[in-house]
Amino acid sequence: MKRVTRDIDPESAHDLLERVPRACIAFAREEGPIAQPVALIWRDGRYQVGVPSAAARRPDAGDEVVLLVDEGRYFFDLRAIYIRGLAEPVDAPEAAPEGHTWYEITPTRTVAWDYGSLREVDDDR
Amino acid sequence: MTVDDPAVREMIRRAMVARIATLSGGGRPSITSLYFIPMNGHVWLGTADWTLAAREARADPRVSVLFQLEHNSGDRRILRISGQATVTTDEEIQKAYRWRVALKYILNPGGIANYATHWRQYRLMDQYHAQSAEKGKGCVIDVTPELAEYI
Repeated sequence: MKRVTRDIDPESAHDLLERVPRACIAFAREEGPIAQPVALIWRDGRYQVGVPSAAARRPDAGDEVVLLVDEGRYFFDLRAIYIRGLAEPVDAPEAAPEGHTWYEITPTRTVAWDYGSLREVDDDR
Repeated sequence: MTVDDPAVREMIRRAMVARIATLSGGGRPSITSLYFIPMNGHVWLGTADWTLAAREARADPRVSVLFQLEHNSGDRRILRISGQATVTTDEEIQKAYRWRVALKYILNPGGIANYATHWRQYRLMDQYHAQSAEKGKGCVIDVTPELAEYI
């Protein structure tokens, strides 16, 4: 049996981590989920995100967050990489843009998708 | 700034991809990108009822949604809407959503060009959507905005 998947190897989406067309994190607060645009520096395999210092809410140390880096407007251009992990405050990375509070995300789960790369795979689920 | 602010409504009208953050029943965050349409002061995001976004919006209706003008590099504003979501598979709402989505994302020069250059993948796209229909129904996550802020 075959099925069609949009899933891709996250390594195929590393260009998104380098170019960062759109990046945001989600984290939980008392009032509900918070979607927050972030700066992203992906270097030596490390995910460092900068939340604007003016942001009213930021993750606490050890919070679970999800980082979404995506691009595209029309169907076959939609691509994304999704990294779930734990955020810890860190010093600003070298050459980081000013005006941000920085966190490093230690991934617990990473997935990526690309609607322009739909293909058939064995359905072994 | 209120959710009725003309600048807020204009941003929602012109943005193409919404990023919606949700919480599981256990309070864990998720975020994904979805197509959407503005509808009478609400935001309708389209997905299927078996997806994580739909299941989480049912479990906890509080959502946080980001919009930006993806095609205007001169306008870097990002709008965040916080609000309450309901999830519906109502067929009349699905019909209203589908034809508006077709107008917004397909039946315009950018959409037509995108589909035309990927014609080889139509069969796979149809199969992908058919697979989704086997797992459950198409649904609309109907967000009632409560707070709007540029961030």
